[in-house]
Amino acid sequence: MDRQFAQRRRRDLVVAAGLIVLAALAPLLVKDVYVQNIMVLTLMYAALSQSWNILSGYCGQISLGHALYFGLGAYTTALLFTRFGVLPWFGMFGGGVISALIAMALGYPCFRLRGHYFVIATIVIAEIALLLFQNWTFAGAALGIDIPVRHDSWLTFQFTRSKLPYFYFALALVAVAWFVTWWLEDSKWGFWWRAVKDNPEAAESLGVVVFDSKMGAAAVSAFLVAVGGSFYAQFVSYIDPESVMGFQFSLLMALPAVVGGIGTLWGPALGAVILIPLTELTRSYIGGSGRGVDLIVYGSLIVLISLARPQGLVGLFARRNKASAR
Amino acid sequence: MTALLETRSVTQRFAGLVANSDVSISVDRGEIVGLIGPNGAGKSTLFNLIAGVFPPSEGAIWFDGADVTRLPAAERCRRGIGRTFQVVKSFETMTVVDNVIVGALVRATHMRDARRKAHEVLEFTGLAARAGVPASDLVPAEKRRLEVARALATSPKLLLLDEVLTGLTPAEARTGVELVRRVRDTGVTVLMVEHVMEIVMPLVDRAIVLDLGKVLVEGKPSDVVRNPKVITAYLGDRHAVGA
Repeated sequence: MDRQFAQRRRRDLVVAAGLIVLAALAPLLVKDVYVQNIMVLTLMYAALSQSWNILSGYCGQISLGHALYFGLGAYTTALLFTRFGVLPWFGMFGGGVISALIAMALGYPCFRLRGHYFVIATIVIAEIALLLFQNWTFAGAALGIDIPVRHDSWLTFQFTRSKLPYFYFALALVAVAWFVTWWLEDSKWGFWWRAVKDNPEAAESLGVVVFDSKMGAAAVSAFLVAVGGSFYAQFVSYIDPESVMGFQFSLLMALPAVVGGIGTLWGPALGAVILIPLTELTRSYIGGSGRGVDLIVYGSLIVLISLARPQGLVGLFARRNKASAR
Repeated sequence: MTALLETRSVTQRFAGLVANSDVSISVDRGEIVGLIGPNGAGKSTLFNLIAGVFPPSEGAIWFDGADVTRLPAAERCRRGIGRTFQVVKSFETMTVVDNVIVGALVRATHMRDARRKAHEVLEFTGLAARAGVPASDLVPAEKRRLEVARALATSPKLLLLDEVLTGLTPAEARTGVELVRRVRDTGVTVLMVEHVMEIVMPLVDRAIVLDLGKVLVEGKPSDVVRNPKVITAYLGDRHAVGA
C-alpha cells in the first residue's frame, strides 16, 4: 500500500517534469506573438489557480476575493519600482509577504465565518480594496500606474522585443506553484487542510488546530497569487485598480480549478489549459462588440461540468487509472 | 495514584436548560467505564465537555494531573484524550488510511512515521483491507470502526467512545466489544457512552448512570442494573415498585 502511494507520488513528479520540458520547448514551434501571448496568460492563470486551490480547494475555504492579493502584488511591485526604484524581484517578494500578512489579518475575523458567509466576506473585502485603490492618490488612484519601459533586461524584468522571457517566467511560476502543492499534499499541513475541509469538528478532536490551518493556507495561497500579480504588472507594464483587482480576476482564479477539479493536484492546470485559450479566442474572434461572450462560454462550461462531472475533469483520468488497476 | 480523569461539580447550561448539574465523576487508569442513562440524561453533553468542544458553565475538568477546563479540543487531544462521534464524522473525501493519518500526525513529526502508525492502527482495528478505499465507500459498521481507529492513532491515554456499539448487528457488536477489550489491554483507559445495556454491562468495570443531568447511581455493572433508581429512570415508577 505504501509502495503504491510512493509510486503515485513519484509518477506525478515525473509527469510534471515531462510536461514542463514539453511546455518549455513549445516556443520553438510557436512563433506567432498572439499565440505566445495566450500561452503566457494560460500559464499565469494556471499558477494563480493552483495557488487559489491551496486555500479554497485543499482547505475548503472558498475565496472569491483573491483579486485582492493579485492586485496587492501588482501594486507593490509597480509602486516600489516607479516611486523608489526598487527592482521588481524585490517587489515580487515584498508583495508576496504583504499579501500573506494581509490574508492572515483578514482571516483572523473571517475564518470564524462558515460556508457562504465566508465567500461573501471575501467578495466584499476585495471590492472595498478596489474602491480604496481607486481613490488612493499616491498609488495613482483610478488612473493607475504606468511602468516606464527602459530596455530589455532580466534585472528590471522588462522585455519589449520578445514575449519569451515572460513565457519562461510564467512557466517557472506554474512549476513552483505545482511543486509547492505537490509537496504540501503529503505533509502535515496538507492532511490538516483536507481534514478541515471535510469536517472541522472531527479535525479538532484529532488535534488539528483548525484556525491555524486556515491561516497557514491563506498565507501560502496569498503569497503565491501576489507573485503572480507582480509578474502581471511587469508583463502589461500598465496597471489600474480595475485591471488588476477587478472581480473577474477572482473568478478567473477559481474557474480553472473548478473545471479541472477543485482540491486536486492537476485540476487547476488542466482547467487553465482548457479555459484560458477558449476565453482569449472567443474574445478576439467576436471582437469588441461581444464583450461578455467569453463569459457566456464560461457559464455554459461550468453548467456542463457541474452536470456531467461535478468533481472536475481530472476525475476522468482517475477513473481510467482505477479501471486499469483492476 | 490520582484518577486519570475527574470532573469536579461540572454544570452546563444551554439557554436555561440545565444539561449537566453538579456532575462529579472520576475514571481511573486502565478502567473501562460505562456512562449510561436514558435519552436526554446529559451523556453527550458530558462527553463534549470532557473532549473540550465547549467549556462548562461551572466546575472543573482535570485530566492526567492538570486542569484542562479551559483548553480547546485540539490541545486536549494532544494531552491524550481521544474521542469518537455518535454521528460518525469521517473525512469523506479522504481514503481510510488518510483519515487515520490525520490522527497520527498529532504525535508523528515525519509523514513516514504517521503513515506507519496509521497502518498499524488499521491492522489493529481490522480495517487494513480497506486502507485505500475512500471513507465515503465504507458501510456504517466500518465507519464506526474508522472513528475508533482515527482516535487510537492519536495514541490517547483516555478514549471516549460515543455509542460505537449502537445500531450494529449482534455479530458486529461482538467484534466491537472484542476491540474495546483489546484497546484496554494496550493500556488505554476507556470511557464509553452506550445505550444497549446487555452489550455494555458485561464489558465495563464500572457503570455511571446519568439521569436528568445528574449522577444517579455509580458502581459495579451487576449492582447498577438491579438498582431500583436505575430501573425507575429507564422504565418508570411502575416497574420499580414491581422490582
